Amino acid sequence: MKRSNEQASVEKQLNIHSTKIKKGASGIAFDIIKYGLLTLLALICVLPFIIIISGSFSENQIVLKTGYGILPKGFNTDAYSFIFKKPEGILQAYKMTTYYTVVGTFVGLSVTVLTAYVISRKTFKYRNVVSFLIYFTTIFGGGMVPWYLMYTSVLPLRGTTFIIWFPAILGSFNIILMRTFITGSVPDAIIESAKIDGAGEGTILTRIVLPVLKPGLATVGLFLALGYWNDWYRSSMFATDKKNWELQLYLYELVNKANAMKELVNTGVVLNDTMPTQTVKMAMAVVVTGPILLVYPFVQRYFISGITVGAVKG
Amino acid sequence: MAKQTGDALSVKLNRQIGKRNLGMLIALGISALIVILSLPFMNWIRISYIRGFAEKYSIDLGKTPIFPGYSMLTFLGFVQKTKAGILGFPAFLLFFAVVASLVLHAVYIVNLIIAKPKRSNGLLGIYSFGKASNILSIIASAGTIWYIFFWANSRTFPGTFIPSPVVFIVLVLAVANLVIVKALEKTELKKYHDHGFFEEVRRNWILFVFLIPCFIYFLINNYLPMSGIYFAFTQFNFRDGLFFSPFVGFKNFEFLVKANLWPLTRNTILYNIVFIGLGNVLQIFFAILVSQVGVKWFKKTSQTLIFMPYFVSYVILRVLVYSLLEDKLGLLDNLLGNLTGKNIDFYNTPKYWPGLIVFFSMWKGIGYGMVVYLATIMGISDEYYEAAKIDGANIFQQIRFITVPLLKPTFIILLLYAIGGIMRGQFELFYQMVGQNGILYDLTDIIDTYVYRVTTTQAMSMGLATAAGLYQSVFGLVIVVLTNWIIKRRNAEYALF
Repeated sequence: MKRSNEQASVEKQLNIHSTKIKKGASGIAFDIIKYGLLTLLALICVLPFIIIISGSFSENQIVLKTGYGILPKGFNTDAYSFIFKKPEGILQAYKMTTYYTVVGTFVGLSVTVLTAYVISRKTFKYRNVVSFLIYFTTIFGGGMVPWYLMYTSVLPLRGTTFIIWFPAILGSFNIILMRTFITGSVPDAIIESAKIDGAGEGTILTRIVLPVLKPGLATVGLFLALGYWNDWYRSSMFATDKKNWELQLYLYELVNKANAMKELVNTGVVLNDTMPTQTVKMAMAVVVTGPILLVYPFVQRYFISGITVGAVKG
Repeated sequence: MAKQTGDALSVKLNRQIGKRNLGMLIALGISALIVILSLPFMNWIRISYIRGFAEKYSIDLGKTPIFPGYSMLTFLGFVQKTKAGILGFPAFLLFFAVVASLVLHAVYIVNLIIAKPKRSNGLLGIYSFGKASNILSIIASAGTIWYIFFWANSRTFPGTFIPSPVVFIVLVLAVANLVIVKALEKTELKKYHDHGFFEEVRRNWILFVFLIPCFIYFLINNYLPMSGIYFAFTQFNFRDGLFFSPFVGFKNFEFLVKANLWPLTRNTILYNIVFIGLGNVLQIFFAILVSQVGVKWFKKTSQTLIFMPYFVSYVILRVLVYSLLEDKLGLLDNLLGNLTGKNIDFYNTPKYWPGLIVFFSMWKGIGYGMVVYLATIMGISDEYYEAAKIDGANIFQQIRFITVPLLKPTFIILLLYAIGGIMRGQFELFYQMVGQNGILYDLTDIIDTYVYRVTTTQAMSMGLATAAGLYQSVFGLVIVVLTNWIIKRRNAEYALF
């Protein structure tokens, strides 16, 4: 019931005020403006992606001479062949990123639900104190250095995979969002009557709250997963071994390497390397982002509903 | 038996004397005494024998005058003067405990003088300040005693420091004051059908269990690292290590002010102002446009495409920017080259970067912001528009006089949140777009990128990086608190906390 409401609101949002307005001269002028500007903006948003995809299917030598284009220049798949000729590195990065994403999202989601459930309970005396302590972390902190030293020097965690996923499991925004989902989908009266019937907090959470919380779980889970997939920072800070690198850091290093090679060639050094530097960068970008853009159309609405819920109830 | 004496005490202390009860008057006196005994001129630590210490740390007693005693508020001066870094960290924490206890005692005293019960929970609000301030005083005084016996003497020269009687007096007074406030609270709790912490744990223990992972996380990730701001006041060296390097006071901050604090602050704030201002205007503008589109497929497709940049990582953004701007390779670079006949070397020309960074920040964020505003537009009742149409308002007038004014609350809330974060830069955006390209730093270096660069490339400058981070955090906190204070006075509905 609640779920369909949620969907309906998203549908409605995608389809607000369908044209009931009769068109006068100003109406027609407005039509031209809005369709024109939105098309332009959409193009600006997509164009860079098209350049990357085209670049990845181009011939490296032609790109080096004439630059990137909207269409592939000298269509071929050399760049992809190069990447997958020795795929160990990228496969390892893929494996680790998947691992971080799955473990981080699962643990993060569980802890977020537990926390959000507690601060949503009106009979819990310290819910405002807990909420404030969580919010306070967003306005004051010790900064990057103490944070880094906490994980590497104070706690003996240097070199583990734990410190790459653990620091991102909880976020103030996600907790508040989940709390809003809980209070929005389970009325207090239901929880209170369950308590009177003798249900414990654990039973209420698993039997009453969780079954109707699926949209909330999907939304927060996707926010978490996206964050994990797109992260490069934590492995650049914490990973002591290349085998623990995240995919994005792998791409980052490859881009740096390719740029350095180009600089060398520009200064007159002759390299014997056959790496098609320019197109490989683009192909790597496609390989790294591929999964996201594939699932994007299907999960988009969860993000929209999450942002909407977060925005309306703040 | 203990319970009975407790109840008897409670009854006695709650006897009314005028507007206040007896307990409150006693607490007022004790708190005032604790405040006086905690001020800088009161010695908590006495120096009983300095020769051995001076020899060990090669201090010339003629040139460096050592006072016979120090308060916890002035002891850090001693630490700095003697360069005995090993004394610093606990002394730093105790310093904050004393400062915090002073502030809370002051609040408690003011509240006791006013003595105005709240309708919802009577005097319980006042008593909670009493508990907090006295617990902090106990921590500070007991901590100082521990520090002298188990840290300062054993790690420097035995017999150098002894606690002065003042510390013991503060400890006894604070314990007594805590007992009084507990006794006072008991009757007040009964009156308002409320209960204390332990009763709450007994009733809702399972909720506390649920909070354990969250508690551990924020402790490790946020609260414990806060004590690391100590590094901002030290000069790191490998021999003494992290916690025992010499305490240097504000030297790191002085260096920052001289070196690059101003350009970093300017860049951070100016970029954020433009991001907030331009970002919101564009998001509102396009949200309104999308909301007015009637053709369903167009609406869906355009929204999907505009939202797409939000989903890619900043490393991908780096590749995108490169494919557009790289000298003689980038699409935009070539296009401009063909149009004007002259290629621009973007990566070596700082003046274009403020515009570029703003553009790509907008590019990545517009989809998200648009959805936020669309959510609000969705909530506007159709009746307003119907009524306006009957009155003959055209579409522009409807937007101007209905949509825009009704978006104002959302805009204000977003604006306030953004102002709170005005000192925090978008690290990933700047780092991935500019990278280690030093040529561009003048116009593109923000505090966050500076801290990252210093930390990752200069291990010895840990203190400097922490100082910059602390400056950012404190400045940001002051802005948040100020903003919140102003809003609360003007319109409490919008308050952040």
